[in-house]
Amino acid sequence: MNPVVELTRVSKTFGDIRAVSEASLSVARGDFLTVVGPSGCGKTTLLRMIAGFETPSSGEIRINGDRVDVVPPYRRSIGMVFQKLALFPHMTAAQNIAYPLKMRRFAPRVIPGLVKQYLELVQLGGLGDRRPHELSGGQQQRVAIARALVFSPDLLLLDEPLSALDRKLREEMQLEFRRIQRELAVTTINVTHDQREALVMSDQIVVMDQGVIQQAATPQALYRQPANRFVAHFLGVTTLLDGRVVRVGDDGDVAVQVGDTVLQARGVGQALVTGAPVDCAIRAERIGMAAHGQPGLDNTVDGVVLQRIFEGDRVVYVVRVPALGDAVLSLFDRDADVHETTTEGQSVRLAWQARDLMVFAKQT
Amino acid sequence: MTDQLSKRVVLWGLVWFSIVTLSLPTVIIIGASFTSGDIIRFPPEGFSLRWYWELWQLSDFTNALLRTLYVAVICTLISLPVGTLAALATVRYRLRFRRSIQVYLLLPFTIPLVVSGLSMMILFGEMRILGQLWPVGLGICIINLPFMIWSVSASVNAIDPDLENAAMNCGAPPVQTFLTVTLPAVMPGVITGGLLSFILAFNEFLVSLFLTDSRTVTLPVQIYNSIRSIITPDLAAVSVLYILIALIAVWLLDRLVGLEIFLRSK
Ligand SMILES: Nc1ncnc2c1ncn2[C@@H]1O[C@H](COP(=O)(O)OP(=O)(O)OP(=O)(O)O)[C@@H](O)[C@H]1O
Ligand SMILES: [Mg+2]
Repeated sequence: MNPVVELTRVSKTFGDIRAVSEASLSVARGDFLTVVGPSGCGKTTLLRMIAGFETPSSGEIRINGDRVDVVPPYRRSIGMVFQKLALFPHMTAAQNIAYPLKMRRFAPRVIPGLVKQYLELVQLGGLGDRRPHELSGGQQQRVAIARALVFSPDLLLLDEPLSALDRKLREEMQLEFRRIQRELAVTTINVTHDQREALVMSDQIVVMDQGVIQQAATPQALYRQPANRFVAHFLGVTTLLDGRVVRVGDDGDVAVQVGDTVLQARGVGQALVTGAPVDCAIRAERIGMAAHGQPGLDNTVDGVVLQRIFEGDRVVYVVRVPALGDAVLSLFDRDADVHETTTEGQSVRLAWQARDLMVFAKQT
Repeated sequence: MTDQLSKRVVLWGLVWFSIVTLSLPTVIIIGASFTSGDIIRFPPEGFSLRWYWELWQLSDFTNALLRTLYVAVICTLISLPVGTLAALATVRYRLRFRRSIQVYLLLPFTIPLVVSGLSMMILFGEMRILGQLWPVGLGICIINLPFMIWSVSASVNAIDPDLENAAMNCGAPPVQTFLTVTLPAVMPGVITGGLLSFILAFNEFLVSLFLTDSRTVTLPVQIYNSIRSIITPDLAAVSVLYILIALIAVWLLDRLVGLEIFLRSK
């Protein structure tokens, strides 16, 4: 079966700016794909090309197997929720939802029923007569979702519609999106710069940086097996270290020298050669902190606590390690007893497993 | 404490001073129009509607009034589509020479009315349309177009640029998008601009003076002609008529747009 959307080496330039560069991706029917990346990396441009508001400078876009280069946006069966929602201010919620049905020439007698059904789907039953400005931010979101979905589009596009909401409402709406998306089994491409949202909501994640797709994988694979330094750094709280390969073993085992210390590590992605400069990355939650060396952990270093940040369920320690060339490591600790006894300026011992220290060949 | 007090005194003083100086002429003219005597004076001599009745009897004035209404309607009817489309085109679409077009469209505003009036008189004379009424409406429309464009531009600037994309995404072809989404979204500006055009055309004196003759004289010009002969209280009555029309326009604006703008503010 054809993927619902398929991009092949799609690029878009605005004058000198290369907003999207040779992007290829495909989304299978019913999947939820999230495109994530820092601000300005080309996410919106990618979506606007799929929706038909921009024409690619090169490459091709297929929807349900057909090239769509010359298909105007209003002939594409795509629902979109915009970054600033773009609800029609002069129409009520119900009229907003009915609008695509009218424009797409649904039989007039089915429209009221569909509008009612979708108002209920997004839990806005009874609020259909309100204008957008009479609804709360979360309720406006729901109207925008209903408007994008009511005509059963082949594809749903979400351009960071949640970014304007406060954190609690955002997390609520993430689950709401996911529920509706599963219920209707609608193929979805979501765009965000919130890594947590990407991990929580998606079947597939595409990480972009400066217009280039860095990696496409499932959330778990992306988190566990980042393809490069950028992806490793973008997801989670990660410390990056500069190192040099000392020895390459089997199964990706490597030894790297960082500062004056040789660490046991795991090679990721490209093959490594002895002597090559590398990027090493370690996630904050994989570093353990103990007063004395913990047996069974492959790497142990000593450091001094620079900063101790209380975040409620955890404490983030920022630790300077002289033996790693004065590198500064971030780590979490969830043990409330340890929080009481550890203070800034105190010496601590850090330890982690070899497989938790990921090593990437330096990108040129 | 005394600082606060003196600040309040000064502020209130200014407010009242403004209110009084701004409204005094109006109050005087309204009062004078109800006089039963033969000359304009304040306070009026007695109270009567005599001068309104006299005004009604003067066919010069009633005809001038009708002509002025006609001119104002013509002016508004031209301003509405021209101003709206010009504002939309220059603000919304990435036209070439956009800035130059914007400046060009606002040009009438920077040219003294005497100059516009005179040049239009010559132009219309050459075109042999001077002496008819509709060119007066057209002329007034041209000089007041900047107000219409400003008014609509303000509305266009306030709408989300993705609104039209959203409409297309909903399946609306360009014409439908324009009619069902763009136009309603800029409606507050269109209504404001339309009423403004009407009032300005109704009041326009200088340009009318150039473009009218004794057969097509409009109300502002008629008033001017009258003051040059004798000043009777019927002039006060005409002034009150003007005040009334301005009030109606403001009221309409509030009913139509005040509401809309309020609704649109998120
Ligand atoms: N119409 C345009 N003209 C010129 N440059 C543009 C245009 N649209 C986008 N760009 C540029 O292309 C790049 C990518 O923009 P895009 O809006 O796709 O980023 P984004 O990933 O959506 O960012 P954000 O997370 O801030 O929304 C940016 O450098 C931007 O300045
Ligand atoms: Mg964006």
